[in-house]
Amino acid sequence: MLRFVLKRAASALLTLLGVLALVFGLLAAAPGDPAAMAAKAGARASAVSPEALAAFRTLYGLNRPPLERFGIWIVRAARFDFGISLSDGRPVGERISGALPATVTLNLAALLAALALGVPAGIAAARRPGGRLDRISGTLGDALFATPSFVLGLVLLLVFSGWLRLTPLFSDGGGFRGYVLPVVTLALPTAAFLARFVRSCVASALADPAAAAGRARGEGSGAAVRRALRRSAAPFAAMGAALVPSLVAGSVLVERVFSLPGAGGLLADAVFARDLPTVLALTLLSAGCVVAAAFLADVVSAVLDPRTRDAAAPLAPAGEAA
Amino acid sequence: MNAGRARTWRAAALFALFPLLALLASVLAREKPWVETKTGETIVRAPVPFDPDAADLDRRLQPPSWKHLFGTDELGRDVLARTLHGARVSVAAGLLASALALFLGAGLGAVAGWAGGAADRGVLFLVNVVQALPALVLVVTAASFLPPSFLVAAVLIALTGWTDTARIVRAEAKKIREAPFVDAARAAGASAPRLVLVHVLPHALPPAVALLPYVLGAAVLTEAALSFLGLGAPPPDASWGRALAEARNLLPGAWWCVLPPAAALFLLVLSARRLGDAAASRDVQSPSP
Repeated sequence: MLRFVLKRAASALLTLLGVLALVFGLLAAAPGDPAAMAAKAGARASAVSPEALAAFRTLYGLNRPPLERFGIWIVRAARFDFGISLSDGRPVGERISGALPATVTLNLAALLAALALGVPAGIAAARRPGGRLDRISGTLGDALFATPSFVLGLVLLLVFSGWLRLTPLFSDGGGFRGYVLPVVTLALPTAAFLARFVRSCVASALADPAAAAGRARGEGSGAAVRRALRRSAAPFAAMGAALVPSLVAGSVLVERVFSLPGAGGLLADAVFARDLPTVLALTLLSAGCVVAAAFLADVVSAVLDPRTRDAAAPLAPAGEAA
Repeated sequence: MNAGRARTWRAAALFALFPLLALLASVLAREKPWVETKTGETIVRAPVPFDPDAADLDRRLQPPSWKHLFGTDELGRDVLARTLHGARVSVAAGLLASALALFLGAGLGAVAGWAGGAADRGVLFLVNVVQALPALVLVVTAASFLPPSFLVAAVLIALTGWTDTARIVRAEAKKIREAPFVDAARAAGASAPRLVLVHVLPHALPPAVALLPYVLGAAVLTEAALSFLGLGAPPPDASWGRALAEARNLLPGAWWCVLPPAAALFLLVLSARRLGDAAASRDVQSPSP
């Protein structure tokens, strides 16, 4: 078991390193000079002198070869030092930790809401496959799943903030009420995904011989559902990991739609300011979340189901883009 | 079975509507009449007689009326005309990105499945790396350092969208490699590239093609998200994502600017997914839970 965990951890770290190399390589290969671009994005109208640009490059180490820069960046990132933001001169770590509470609140609340909504819906649908409830939740789930998060968010914003005036139009500084719509926006498609997954797990478990044996012993359908859920624990873990990328990508857009001051909004802002250190740190953070979730899912399913320990566990399927 | 077939056709018809609208947008929505006299008098006007880019500051933010069925936006442009023209960006991005992704995924997957060994491990590592970043984050990060253009966006989306295709083609190629007809071809003296291209790839492709509608739907979503964040095709070309970003700033007014692009985007993605579901239920492999 320990060997399995260590092996998985090593491959997770390697994947993370690969992600960073990919992003760094992309940025190094991209045409244009980051110093000039940051200057252009930051300067009002005046041109920036060549001396200032050179000083800027030395300050941020942009005049060194890319491979050396990559090495330095990795070593510093391992100590949680992500450098200084190109747009406001504050340490990147400080900016991100300022933005994280909003994002973490949003994601956790959305996940809880999705679980509270999706799991009962999935179980109810599985009890009567093809029944009215199953068809309704299937159609609704399909529709929700195809709705881009920012489109759903905009429509909710239009109805609840624009027409009914129940929630604030901008969530920054809106307090609790400002979180309601973003959480609902992020939770609904996730709940649809969950409901579909739980439905297929429970329905197939209810149809198998073990459930028939239970019925013959006189067990109620509640016990059968409980046993079905326990048996699908391992795929459940894998599915949880698959949700992380879509939540991360979703929160970039949802924070933007509701102008919630979180890490996703910060990424969008940093991208506009061509603020390389902030973009890199946030990329590392989101890749770290995804890789850590996949790693945890592997370990959890190995604990629950020893058969998966030997298999070359595939990474969770890619989540939706938005 | 019959009901399933009818559903497939409905999904395909709804989906086909969008490329059709994209192709016909500049005919359906234009200021120039369809038929006019030599002196320039209109005989038959276009169904939506407005140029999508023609600003009319005297008619800013007009609610829907008989003249402007979907109202006008901040600059007095006709929302219906812009929504029609917006189909071009979304459809083109979806088709181009998913075609590139199929090309890339099928190529890398076939090589990995056929060659095995180091090539296989390398491709799998690449798949893991690309999937470890949410597609949107990777595309946004890269788009921030590249000039904003439609082509750049489509290529970036393809670079994140090929992984599922590669996995499926790889698995198929691994199976087919052992098939007797491949042995026969090898015994007949076929070269390795010929074996892969002529004997393995055609058999490995069907499940990857069945996956294509999902890849396309995801590509359309990513493009719209990119445009929404202001990183897609640059203005003034109409695009649904950017139209939504502009409409967001107009809230709580101008609801007519939000709903048309939102509905169009929703229907395009929904029909692509429906088509994928239909294809998957007929095919051996079902790609997503």
